[in-house]
Amino acid sequence: MTWRIGVDSGGTFTDVCLFDDTSGEVTIWKVPSTPDDPSRGITQGVAEGLEQVSTDAGAISFLGHGTTVATNALIQGRGVKTGLITTDGFRDLLEIGRQKRPDLYDLQADKPETLVPRDLRLGVVERVRTDGSVEEALDEDAFREAVRDLKAQGVESVAVSFLYSFLNDAHERRAARIIAEEFPEAFTAISSDIAPEFREYERLSTTVVNAYLGPVMQGYVRALKKKLTDLGLKVAPQLTQSNGGVIAFDTAAEMPVRTVLSGPSTGVVAAQAIGRMTGIENLITFDMGGTSSDVALLSGGECRVVNEAVVHGYPLKVPMLDIHTVGAGGGSIAYVDNGGLLKVGPRSAGANPGPACYGLGNDEPTVTDANVVLQTQNPEYLLNGRMKIDRDLSVAAIQKLADRLGMEMLETANGILDIVVANMAKAIRVISVQRGHDPRDYTLVAFGGAGPVQAARLARELGMSRVLVPRTPGVLCALGLLMTDLRSDFSATSLMRLDQATPEQVEAIFTDLRNRAAAWFEAEDIAPPARALNLAVDVRYAGQNYEIAVAIPDGPVTTETFDTIREGFLAAHRQLYGFVAEGEPMQLVTFRAAASGLVQKADFAPQPLEGADAGAAVTGARPVWMVEARDFVEATLYDRALLKAGNVVPGPAIIDQMDSTTVVPPGMAATVDPYLNLILEAAQ
Amino acid sequence: MNMIPQVKLNPITVEVIGSAFASTVEEMGEALVRASYSTNIKERRDCSTALFDAEGRMLCQAEHIPMHLGSFIGFVPYVLRHFGQDGIQPGDVFMGNDAYEGGGTHLPDIVLAEPIFVEGKLVAWAINTAHHSDFADRGHAHIYQEGLRIPPVKLYRQGELQEDIQRMFLLNCQVPAERISDLRAQLAANRLGNIRMTELCAKYGLDTVLAAGSELMNYAERKMRAGIAAIPDGRYEFRDVFDSESLEVPLDLSVTIEVRGDEIALDFTSPPQVRAGLNVVYTALLATVYYAVKTVVDPTVLPNAGLARPITVTAQEGTLLRCAHPAAVDGRITACQRVVDLIHGALAQVVPHRVTAASNGSVAVASFDGRREDGSLWVYLETIGGGFGARHDKDGLDGVHVHMTNTSNLPVEALENEYPITLRRYELVDGSGGDGQFVGGMGLRRVYRAEKPCRVQVMGARLSSQPWGLDGGKPGASGYFSLNGKRNGFERAPVDLVPGDILEIVTPGAGGYGDPARRDAAARDRDLRENRLAHGT
Repeated sequence: MTWRIGVDSGGTFTDVCLFDDTSGEVTIWKVPSTPDDPSRGITQGVAEGLEQVSTDAGAISFLGHGTTVATNALIQGRGVKTGLITTDGFRDLLEIGRQKRPDLYDLQADKPETLVPRDLRLGVVERVRTDGSVEEALDEDAFREAVRDLKAQGVESVAVSFLYSFLNDAHERRAARIIAEEFPEAFTAISSDIAPEFREYERLSTTVVNAYLGPVMQGYVRALKKKLTDLGLKVAPQLTQSNGGVIAFDTAAEMPVRTVLSGPSTGVVAAQAIGRMTGIENLITFDMGGTSSDVALLSGGECRVVNEAVVHGYPLKVPMLDIHTVGAGGGSIAYVDNGGLLKVGPRSAGANPGPACYGLGNDEPTVTDANVVLQTQNPEYLLNGRMKIDRDLSVAAIQKLADRLGMEMLETANGILDIVVANMAKAIRVISVQRGHDPRDYTLVAFGGAGPVQAARLARELGMSRVLVPRTPGVLCALGLLMTDLRSDFSATSLMRLDQATPEQVEAIFTDLRNRAAAWFEAEDIAPPARALNLAVDVRYAGQNYEIAVAIPDGPVTTETFDTIREGFLAAHRQLYGFVAEGEPMQLVTFRAAASGLVQKADFAPQPLEGADAGAAVTGARPVWMVEARDFVEATLYDRALLKAGNVVPGPAIIDQMDSTTVVPPGMAATVDPYLNLILEAAQ
Repeated sequence: MNMIPQVKLNPITVEVIGSAFASTVEEMGEALVRASYSTNIKERRDCSTALFDAEGRMLCQAEHIPMHLGSFIGFVPYVLRHFGQDGIQPGDVFMGNDAYEGGGTHLPDIVLAEPIFVEGKLVAWAINTAHHSDFADRGHAHIYQEGLRIPPVKLYRQGELQEDIQRMFLLNCQVPAERISDLRAQLAANRLGNIRMTELCAKYGLDTVLAAGSELMNYAERKMRAGIAAIPDGRYEFRDVFDSESLEVPLDLSVTIEVRGDEIALDFTSPPQVRAGLNVVYTALLATVYYAVKTVVDPTVLPNAGLARPITVTAQEGTLLRCAHPAAVDGRITACQRVVDLIHGALAQVVPHRVTAASNGSVAVASFDGRREDGSLWVYLETIGGGFGARHDKDGLDGVHVHMTNTSNLPVEALENEYPITLRRYELVDGSGGDGQFVGGMGLRRVYRAEKPCRVQVMGARLSSQPWGLDGGKPGASGYFSLNGKRNGFERAPVDLVPGDILEIVTPGAGGYGDPARRDAAARDRDLRENRLAHGT
């Protein structure tokens, strides 16, 4: 008997999801996180989870882990003392960035902290030109001196980023050897390894972030690996990257910058797997937590991978799922501003003191209070009765707000939800309509503790006709870890006009990428049948600066491949911008190969359908204020754990489970599918 | 005539429609940048987008470049006056840039506006402007030297491109291939704005959307008035000098601000307009005042027409700060930066915690042009940031664009790939931030080497004067230009560069805040360790 285990370590809880390969049963275990050393909470969670299913660590065939260690170290400035060596004359580039100020109108705003102070940023003479030729050779003595200087100043990490290293990495290669000679104990990040792409500031920033986080991540994975090995784990644990793929712990420690979105990306991967199981492959994910929410779009089962994004103020050129974050969640506070409009967030009451109804000292109304007042959430208890709340405190908090607005209390509570839904809809428009996708063609997948409560309403705001709520929405990220492939992305930048390029030129670039991917397959010990390679090229009109990725089939590059590129680009350009420029030349910019090692995934067996009657799961009824009626209506209450495949829950209804609450509004019905997902659609 | 229907609205609908406007203008801006070709737009993002209502009042402006508001506020009213309701049809696209006919602020900022019709009625406008990096190496004695003047004309008439107008425009440009591509991106951006507005009206109903637009203006006005009312009543004056490479002697500029209840009036005094591209048209002055007052009163006020209502701006016509035809206006932003300093300097007397010490007070410009081997021309323009003034409780920001602009720099790897120029250095200038309890931001140094023969025109300010400090803080350093190591006043006119010539631009730092003796010891250690202060300080 073997078990597959996913562990998602968040700020408050560590979720463990155990999948029995033999029976297909899923067991969930939750323990408090240990933020000072997350490996403790994780090991405890795994040990206790194994106890729950009466097995030991030797029976684990796969352990996947999503972590916020890198993100938190970046946000909280807890990376290591880092030095930077760059081309002479450009050491301040890290601080200058793109010369834009942090806020257009707010004179008090600040830029994010520069990760390397000015005295630890050193310039060394060397210069490569725009065609990759060397104008000035690296001054090796000066470089050696700079390394000694940084060592003497006590840095733990050294970043090296020279101009044009994406075209010619000879100086950086030499630099790496000198560091290895002079300062072998340093963590070293070289820009041509980390992000060998055009635009020096973004490449520099990525390299520095990697150096800054490297030793933190190395320390973390070593400690965790040791604890898990001590527990009896026999397999190599895997860690999720921001691109949604998993990678070996040690590789992750070399490239921590690739794991900053490790946490949210696992939710997207879970949604992708659910889409595959259910055959619903056009999905928009909506993950609503306590202080923030993440949204992403999957078209044809694939989430767009962006190769650059700004994370916590730092530009990062690494492959990341295109996830958009909004600073509003269940704990966000609603208030009236000095112009008399109602606003929600970004201030949050967090878990402590939490919403007004917790009675822990906060008297400002939150999104949760609005749901409690309207009774869309249980007005007496949370967490299956484990925590008592006081609706009167929510009413009092919202009444104060209503008085200031001159509105009814219930209308005000409803208004808070309207605004939250509008903010979420705005974020979803960014990832859908702004990228040329109509949300009405998509199914909304709602998860996170607060997602399923607002989902039906959000779907209606966007004209989406279907909502899917997974069976364990509150711990979906941990589940996603059981469904993730190994993945690594390789790229090479080489500018060429499509009408002047030859298939041989392009083939040569892809051959190099295939070789790099093959080396990775070997290093990760991925058997040939499990290897998959997806090729793409970033294309633009010659003269533009933003490229559009066009997928191309694997195999020898021919003139037909060029036709595929041309047609794919024109179609995408028209979809994004509404026009094509007749007769203008196209330019190939960056060539990409995404290598996947297909792992055997948790395989959920469909349940037999039991008929539509969900009566056996009814636990009672309560009045719930529904926006459709603009009044309280009697809603039937259901226990999610008792619902069987095939059951249909007609609205108005509330479906409760330990980790979330799903609202089924009047006029809609929730059908339990064979995988125990809830599918909300207009009632027949 | 008030066309806005009376609809009963709750504050929530207003908020929801307000966020739809905001996401629309942002989406328009992204489309413009991504589809464009010229470095000034695709990398430096020197462009802005907005929505206006049918009466020519701004509904929402994206957070791009504050200066561009000046090009928007005059444009739609001009078109409405000139063409009349019957002269505006679905599918029309208006194009214009002139500072005296059509509400522009300088000729390179070309505005494209598209009327939005719903149920057969003109209900709103999608509008954007992009700084076309062209009209290079021209004169600035008067506006006729500065480029092609275009009053708002129809580039598209009911969906039909007016090819003769486009050809005439392109013939007057040095880099027509970039111009046509950027215009196409501008068209695409407005088209998106039109689609989103139409969808919004279909969803909420036209009357509701229009009423919400009107209410959002009232809302901005209320917030603005609440903020102004919190400033003690009184009369606050401030005086500063304005120097520039193209002025023989510095000019005196001053403002008198009168705060009374929830209204604010600003009166500017400046010398007669000059025969140099430094004059400011009234709409540019208005955009500058709206920006500066907003930063002090409440930076979160929505960027719509309502915020202007409690503000009165006066200046004598024919003066530098409210120029009349045919004054040259190309470098108006430099004077506008000084207008912001005047306003902050005056209000520092009463709300010292809301303003900063003087920022670099300049927009340093390098405009290169030359000929490629195939005979076509190239033009490359860049603007360079500098110090951002120290705040009452923290240091200023180093090497950023301040106030009226916020364009990005061009990556070295993009610059050298597109133009025959090598960048030798790009760094913060040691000692350029004014000392103080809180230190002013540092200026920037950019050193170029010409690889082919070309010409360059540089512009800047705070070359002889210095950005002032506050409350005992020291002034920031002045900026300068040098050519092959010599600072000899070459910058008055465009200069020819030969391969190997080295051009250096050093931008001013910013003023410090508070007595330097009160600076925290740890912060002082860092200044010294990081070489942030002038040697010998």
